[in-house]
Amino acid sequence: MTQLQSAFTIFLSLLVEALPFLLLGVLLSSALLLFVDETRLIRLIPKNPLLGALAGSTFGFLFPVCECGNVPVARRFLIQGFPPSVAIGFLLAAPTINPIVIWSTWTAFRDQPEIVVLRVAFSLTVATLLAWTFSAQADLRPLLQPVVARCVPQPQPAMASATSPLLRSGTFWLGDAAGQRVDAMDLQTQMLTTPSEKLSFQDRLNLLLANCVQELRELGGVLILGSAIAAAIQVGVPREIILSVGTGPISSIVAMMVLAAVVSICSTVDSFFALSFASTFTTGSLLAFLVFGPMIDLKAIGLMLSIFKGRAIIYLFGLAAQLVFILTFSYQMLN
Amino acid sequence: MLDLERLNLRNPWLDVCAIALWGLVLLKLWLGGQLHLLIHPAYHWLTIFAGIALSAIALVKTAELLKKTSRQNSRARNSQAEHLNFFPPGLGSCILIFTAVLGLIIEPTVFVSATALQRGVNDFLPITQSQPQSFGQVTRPEEKTIIDWVRTLNVYPEPDAYSGQKVNVEGFVVHSPVLPDNYFTITRFVMTCCAADVYPVGLPVKLETSRDRYPQDTWLAVQGEMITEEFSGKRQLTIQPSSIEEIPVPANPYHY
Repeated sequence: MTQLQSAFTIFLSLLVEALPFLLLGVLLSSALLLFVDETRLIRLIPKNPLLGALAGSTFGFLFPVCECGNVPVARRFLIQGFPPSVAIGFLLAAPTINPIVIWSTWTAFRDQPEIVVLRVAFSLTVATLLAWTFSAQADLRPLLQPVVARCVPQPQPAMASATSPLLRSGTFWLGDAAGQRVDAMDLQTQMLTTPSEKLSFQDRLNLLLANCVQELRELGGVLILGSAIAAAIQVGVPREIILSVGTGPISSIVAMMVLAAVVSICSTVDSFFALSFASTFTTGSLLAFLVFGPMIDLKAIGLMLSIFKGRAIIYLFGLAAQLVFILTFSYQMLN
Repeated sequence: MLDLERLNLRNPWLDVCAIALWGLVLLKLWLGGQLHLLIHPAYHWLTIFAGIALSAIALVKTAELLKKTSRQNSRARNSQAEHLNFFPPGLGSCILIFTAVLGLIIEPTVFVSATALQRGVNDFLPITQSQPQSFGQVTRPEEKTIIDWVRTLNVYPEPDAYSGQKVNVEGFVVHSPVLPDNYFTITRFVMTCCAADVYPVGLPVKLETSRDRYPQDTWLAVQGEMITEEFSGKRQLTIQPSSIEEIPVPANPYHY
């Protein structure tokens, strides 16, 4: 009974700490999706694939989305003719490289600032390298789901796509996607079909509200499941087992990466989750959790399948896992 | 299998209810003075802000739903299209509502010795845990709290350096299995961020008799002086008490 009460207290405290950040993320991403015009951005992107990858990886500062919000945005980038390196860099880095996530990580680990700095540095490195690798594939379409591939412009006249007639067609999302469950946000569908200047302020406000409610409902549910798992592990699993896994240099990193993939907790709040393991797990493994989790997890894979074919996701998953392991393991060995 | 459509889980009122209830939970924890059991005081304002904002969103959404014209109604139905397919429609709201109700009914508890033993009471801060950031300006040893002592020890871990200094600390009793029967550990929990990361710190107290006189989880004020004892080959700073008094559980049982 005491254990159950302790577990509930831990669960509640994780939620109390994480909800404000989730709410901030939801509010900001809703607002910015409405007010930032990415067709202007496309002209500013460097042509060089490596620089493009780096630029894409830092776009999170403009679109502070967690790993649930980045997939629709990345897909929109591809369709609007952004170079693949930019879209993939964004897809992998945006959930970590954004002000809200950096702040929440700092809140959780203010006593270990190296975790905050390294989280950003490692995420940026992995995302940029991966996006650069993918840019070797000049035409990304064979790796994309047919629905998305049809909308992606030819690689050569990519820059002309800002005025592509596809953008104006209005119903291709819903029409083309009839066969599969597309997760297009209502808001984004509206954005694509309605030029933003035509929306009245009242309409924008209503859309913003609708988007907030929708994201809170979905992400809140995932957050609750994640917190429940964290609390249950803390209270239920004997300390010796956690310690034996958590102090091994390799086992701790592998365990935290698997946990990150399974728990699928939102990146705005995952640092609080990681914090509950801080006293028993190595710093390297906490970093692995914080870098790998936002890039690839079960929930994100579900979402990414709405852009990529399975093959591409296996490449992404494998490469990201190896890079994160190498980086965090070397960090651990150097300390 | 539940027929989700029939249960009408896409009802927008379900979302409003979920958001309103969570706003209520956060505000109740704040107004009921229980936030400090859950998170570090530095972040109370974030929770309070979230409680107010969630309630506001619920109110605005309620107003919108109430005055909706039929044209807007049809748009609202479209907006119910899920943007994630992680949950079946409405399940997210149901989970939120269920946990919020639990949060309203069940009071958060103060951690006790069972948790302390599970997490391991030490006279040092865990290596991967927070590095000490402040040592305060406490110069008089009898004004040091348990966490002050532990922080001091962390910086200069030579127990003999503190022998003979006066001690006056408050905490609860933990019967550590690694200490002999005439020692208990006077313990406090330290919170860095939230209740998920609280960890116990404590100092052994030497008794003339068996520690059974002081049951676990009793809150005590211990006065005396510091001595050095050896436990399983390791010298450790220990309290030689001159007086041990039972005290009520403090309003705020955690150190920060």
